Amino acid sequence: MNSNFSCKTCASADQKLETFISNLSVDTSHHRMEGQSVKCGFGLQGICCRLCSNGPCRITPDGPKGVCGATADTIVARNFLRAVSAGSGCYIHIVENTALMLKKTAASKGVLKGKVALAKLADIFEVAEADEHVRAEKIADMVLADLYKPDYVKMELVEKMAYKPRFDRWKELGILPGGAKSEVFAGVVKTSTNLNSDPVDMYLNCLKLGISTGLYGLTLTNLLNDVMLGEPSIRLAPVGLRVIDTDYINIMITGHQHSIFAYLQDRLIQDDVIEKAKAVGAKGFKLVGCTCVGQDLQLRGEHYKEVFNGHAGNNFTSEAILATGAIDAVLSEFNCTLPGIEPICDELKIKQICLDDVSKKANAEMKPFVFEEKETQSNEIIDAVIESYQARRAVVTLNMAADHGNDDTLTGVSEGSLKSFLGGTWKPLIDLIVKGEIKGIAGVVGCSSLTAGGHDVLTVNLVKELIAKDILVLSAGCSSGGLENVGLMSPSAASLAGPKLRAVCESLGIPPVLNFGPCLAIGRLELVATELAEAIGVDLPQLPLVLSAPQWLEEQALADGAFGLALGLPLHLGLPPFVTGSPVAVQVFTQDMLNLTGGQLIIDDNAKSAAETLDAIIEKKRKELNI
Amino acid sequence: MKRIIIDREKCDGCLNCNIACISAHEEGSNFYTVNMQSPDAETRNFIKFDAQKGYLPIFCRHCDEPECVLSCMSGALEKDPLTGHVQYDESKCAACYMCVMNCPYGVLKPDKRARTKVIKCDFCDDKPDGPSCVKACPKKAIEVKEVSL
Repeated sequence: MNSNFSCKTCASADQKLETFISNLSVDTSHHRMEGQSVKCGFGLQGICCRLCSNGPCRITPDGPKGVCGATADTIVARNFLRAVSAGSGCYIHIVENTALMLKKTAASKGVLKGKVALAKLADIFEVAEADEHVRAEKIADMVLADLYKPDYVKMELVEKMAYKPRFDRWKELGILPGGAKSEVFAGVVKTSTNLNSDPVDMYLNCLKLGISTGLYGLTLTNLLNDVMLGEPSIRLAPVGLRVIDTDYINIMITGHQHSIFAYLQDRLIQDDVIEKAKAVGAKGFKLVGCTCVGQDLQLRGEHYKEVFNGHAGNNFTSEAILATGAIDAVLSEFNCTLPGIEPICDELKIKQICLDDVSKKANAEMKPFVFEEKETQSNEIIDAVIESYQARRAVVTLNMAADHGNDDTLTGVSEGSLKSFLGGTWKPLIDLIVKGEIKGIAGVVGCSSLTAGGHDVLTVNLVKELIAKDILVLSAGCSSGGLENVGLMSPSAASLAGPKLRAVCESLGIPPVLNFGPCLAIGRLELVATELAEAIGVDLPQLPLVLSAPQWLEEQALADGAFGLALGLPLHLGLPPFVTGSPVAVQVFTQDMLNLTGGQLIIDDNAKSAAETLDAIIEKKRKELNI
Repeated sequence: MKRIIIDREKCDGCLNCNIACISAHEEGSNFYTVNMQSPDAETRNFIKFDAQKGYLPIFCRHCDEPECVLSCMSGALEKDPLTGHVQYDESKCAACYMCVMNCPYGVLKPDKRARTKVIKCDFCDDKPDGPSCVKACPKKAIEVKEVSL
């Protein structure tokens, strides 16, 4: 490839991956980090405003206000709310499409694999219809009706879904969200030129967006997908680059909208399609997981054993997966579909098809998913992928990494499967926490990034520190993609845990880091937390439970973070979310939030000290619960 | 001696050199935490904008014949014969600001808070990885070069 890329790649917690990438002859994000190592100080602090043509204005000693008079506090808050609005928009797009998919699946009497999830939703939404298709359609309609409300009409399902003490607090604070799509609109309007300048009002607005993002974009997306695609169940699965089987026609999937692949993934294992693959010399088709949609498929892998070969890696592993040469097509429907895959696909003749224009890649074929045409579309996709396989396999050199990853990652953990594993009740887990065998729980979630030490470096180091302190880690998001590839989600990782947690893990045969799958499953962690709080009879901020998004990457993560703060949980981030230029922002996030929701932001890029801080919070909460 | 050499054409006026300079002189701070609104936030380098010429980065040249040193009556400013850097000793400074008046580049200035000292480039005390401003320039518009005295 004719690229002028750096020879020096950034560090990765995944040593095998680091070596693999450093030896590649294609340019990846890991190579580009060096060229982008000089960062803008104003951007990092959030004190640059580009909202009007008098700008960009930056806060400097000689220019303490923008031309319009905006202070650092106003500029930071506007930038932050804009980012949270955009992040919320992304997740709301996902839940909207998922609800539409359920509605159409139900209306066409399609297969609904998740009976338990359907019953659970019907119970929460108080839907009594006996026919499962009618019930599912009604549930989808209720979600859509809420999403499409104006911002001045409150969404109705919030009260049904939220834990009562939380709902009451949100009501007191005036942060119950109106229609989720309109709230994104309101957030964008509020932060435009010479509009809102009140930082506190804007941070409260972020919490409101956090609630709509969390309950709808995260929690409901999972449950609606469960209805269509089947509930997760716990099992051991292979992960890493080793999952790619060169004997098959391989399709890498990227995105967050699992249901878009529902028909195709069933079609790929039907006899006539397998025959087509055999006719060109392959054994059949395999889906190779990448990014959150891969994690989602892995989570429900029990239902897709034949077509799904395993999750290969997270967002910043996608370029490496393609660089093996064994992927014949990329199907994308959302982020994280890095622009960096484009030249690699060109070089290695990999077909790219985008199924949702929000993730249209510059050199990819656009094929917007249409439910009513899914049969024809799937056949066309299959033919295009076969054509790609035929054109490329003979001419592309393979560069496999069969020793990367492992075969025994415990996956399929969800609020439902975990509770079943514990015997249908949370009591055993609560007992372990009360006895101190498990000191507390840390949800280590969110993205993977190449900052904070390198690819997954802070995430992996922090998790090692936490489990060594007998804190059980639950992970959801690209963080889990990194944690599983380095073996922390394999039962043998119990040996890295503190003596008490180790004993618990070894007796149950589980790792000390539980894999909830995609970032969407942060919503599942919320369900676990809520059910635990309910069982104990306390509010969420009282639980010995902390959140960390050590390597948060993007705007969606900020909306997730706003949800965490609205839930009243301590939230650790490795790097600040571009707010440190504002004293008000720092005060609100690190101090005042405790009085508002009970939440608190902790910024620390040092794994050891961050773990100590989180451990101290857990100890404090244990003490307050008299355990 | 080492000198910061400027390539004006490359400057985008991003002011990252300003932040780097302020942070380098606020103990324990970094790009995330440096307080840009502090009365002590002082930058030792400047970017001026000229409608014809574009951005003009102005940095202390640690001149061969430094006017600031020549005009300093208290001995607070001295040119180090080994490093070539013009060094400032605050304890000897009488705050007469003759150096400020005589600097041909207008780069020296009194401190904002108390007006009792001079704000001047110290070449980041010759840190092994070079001056902070140079490291922070995304365009490589400023570079440290070895020049003969």
